[in-house]
Amino acid sequence: MIRFYKKRYVFIGISLAIMLIGIIAGFVNGIDLAIDFKGGAVFRYNFTGEINTEEADRVISEALGRNVSCLVTSDLATQTQRLVINVAGNEGISSQDQEKLDQVLKETFADNELELYNSTVVLPYFGKRFFRECLTAVFISFVLIVLYVWLRFRKIGGLSAGVMALVALIHDVLVVFIAFIVFKIPLDENFIAAALTIIGFSINDTIVIYDRIRENASIMKKASFEELVDTSITQSITRSVNTNLATFASITIVYIFAQIYDISSIRSFALPMMFGIISGCYSTICLAGPLWVMWKNYQKSHRKVKKA
Amino acid sequence: MSRLQRSKVTFFVIALIVALLAYITFASPTITIANKAITFKGVSHMRYGIDIRGGVEAIFRPSDKSITPTSDQLDSARRIIEQRLDSQNIYDRTVTVEPETGSIVVRFPWKSDDTDFNPQKAITELGETARLTFRDPDGNVIVDGKNVVSSVPSYDQQTLTYVVELEFDSEGAQAFSEATGRLVGQNIGIYMDENLIRNPVVQTQITDGRALITGMTDREDAKQLADKIRAGALPFSLVSENHSIITPTLGSGALDVMVKAGFLAFILVCLFMLLYYRLPGFVACIALTLQAVGQLLALSMPQFTLTLPGIAAVILSIGMGVDANIIVSERIKEELNSGKPLNTAISSGFHRAFSSVFDGNVTVIIVAVILWIFGSGAMDSFAYSLLTGVALNFLAGVTASRLMISSLSRFSFLRNPALYGARRAAK
Repeated sequence: MIRFYKKRYVFIGISLAIMLIGIIAGFVNGIDLAIDFKGGAVFRYNFTGEINTEEADRVISEALGRNVSCLVTSDLATQTQRLVINVAGNEGISSQDQEKLDQVLKETFADNELELYNSTVVLPYFGKRFFRECLTAVFISFVLIVLYVWLRFRKIGGLSAGVMALVALIHDVLVVFIAFIVFKIPLDENFIAAALTIIGFSINDTIVIYDRIRENASIMKKASFEELVDTSITQSITRSVNTNLATFASITIVYIFAQIYDISSIRSFALPMMFGIISGCYSTICLAGPLWVMWKNYQKSHRKVKKA
Repeated sequence: MSRLQRSKVTFFVIALIVALLAYITFASPTITIANKAITFKGVSHMRYGIDIRGGVEAIFRPSDKSITPTSDQLDSARRIIEQRLDSQNIYDRTVTVEPETGSIVVRFPWKSDDTDFNPQKAITELGETARLTFRDPDGNVIVDGKNVVSSVPSYDQQTLTYVVELEFDSEGAQAFSEATGRLVGQNIGIYMDENLIRNPVVQTQITDGRALITGMTDREDAKQLADKIRAGALPFSLVSENHSIITPTLGSGALDVMVKAGFLAFILVCLFMLLYYRLPGFVACIALTLQAVGQLLALSMPQFTLTLPGIAAVILSIGMGVDANIIVSERIKEELNSGKPLNTAISSGFHRAFSSVFDGNVTVIIVAVILWIFGSGAMDSFAYSLLTGVALNFLAGVTASRLMISSLSRFSFLRNPALYGARRAAK
């Protein structure tokens, strides 16, 4: 049996340290909402040869009457060069203006075979609404998950189990969030997809352990909460490690491919997922279980005091 | 234990079904039954969202921000946009109206063979004010859509046919009177932009600005024409300041990466299961194939749109499938190690694993349903993939696995507990 409960303060310390890193990174890097949520415009063009980004800045700013910043990226697999144009401000851009931009760019850099790769233009209003919808969905699913765990795990104290599962869930979503901040990935629709996927994995992980605790609770009637939880986690640790190893490896493969082919939409989704999976496994074993024991022990001592 | 589980044949039947489904998924065969060709829509028929295959998504609103369009006006605008897409042969699109925000959302794919396509221009043109004109046979404009005061379908009691009643303003009435006087017996063409939508014959001169267009086939026909004419009188033009354009190269690149990575990950997971869990691992590989293939068919058969978030959900549900198989394999191993005979170990292993697989999947269903209700467009694909994935989890990871393992354990050479990962030798 591995004594997880004994090391609980170490685990809580580690998690708090990660959160602290997140807060510091938030101040240093800033929280970068992608235009999906805050509104704005980004254009990407493939090109050949060389492009002076300062000149590009200048001609586009003139054509649109708004400041832009250009940068050049390239992808590892095909060596395609790409000009990324960020338009300052959160406002959208009309398709007429976009046509103007297209025209001016192709005239100025006529020899560079510019070709539109993708463009995203979002009005702040629609971005905010999308963000709000996503948050509502996440919040309501949290509430329902707690209710469901409460109902299904009444044998081991229902509410306490539900709340601790929620703590683990929030922990994992925060880790995904911190991964976005630390790696300076703008928060976009992918963040929502990654967070939701991690919520799914994480709650499943926690429930597998709870299920074991529930089962053992009826076998080990005389055991303390600490013993009960440590035994249950130890019994299912091979499963926890193997499952998470398999999913972690799969997502890592996706990430490596996305990195090689420079598909930013997939890369920015896979990297935070990798951290989320590790966090999901960790939070279940090291947080949800031990925290639940702490709650139960507190309850027990409290009741004794009341009786006395 | 049921008869199905006792039979040695069961395993081969399931393996055959999985192989058949895999064949359907990847080969999309066409079969002929009673002279009717039926094509099974496999992965090659998969309908991808524009984030994967490339395309345009644009939200249109009136260019004059002070206008709040009524839902009638929005409907007219939608009809115009649809008509314009029709005339460009873009049929595979969605156009939806959002009355609360006074906007129209248009999504259409970008065909990869269409190199001349200019998406910015297409968006601009879709939003331009529709120009409805009445023209004489030489193509000269008689009156304009803006001169139309009303256009309603009605039923003519004298001729017992459906008609469209038009009313022009005074300027329109005058021009119309002049033209109808000149063109009795000839046609006046009704054009939407440059498309001729109707070409009625002038029967008499119309002086009071009230015209009847006869010859409608039914009520629906009359209503449609009336709507179109009214749409031509749309008092605002639409602009899109919220649009995204994804080239087919970006889209197919993303898909390529996902498919390659997915295959590699799948093979690695199967190898891991096989080496670590042996017989249950082998069964898990078949169950996972069933799950993956079932997931793809669940998307491609009803032609449900698969987006990038949808692929995330596919990863999640296959991950849950791997988990279900690992939980079961671990449980069987544990039961064997605690000294139970093989048959008991298998059935109690599945029995004990079930409650955790069940609860884990139900919570994921909760997340999926909430997303379905509260999420917008792109998230639908996530929710749908997750729901079908969870259903397949029960079917493949629990039921099919159980039948297969029980069936295989009937073969005497497959009864060595070491094949199930147990530490002790057979008793």
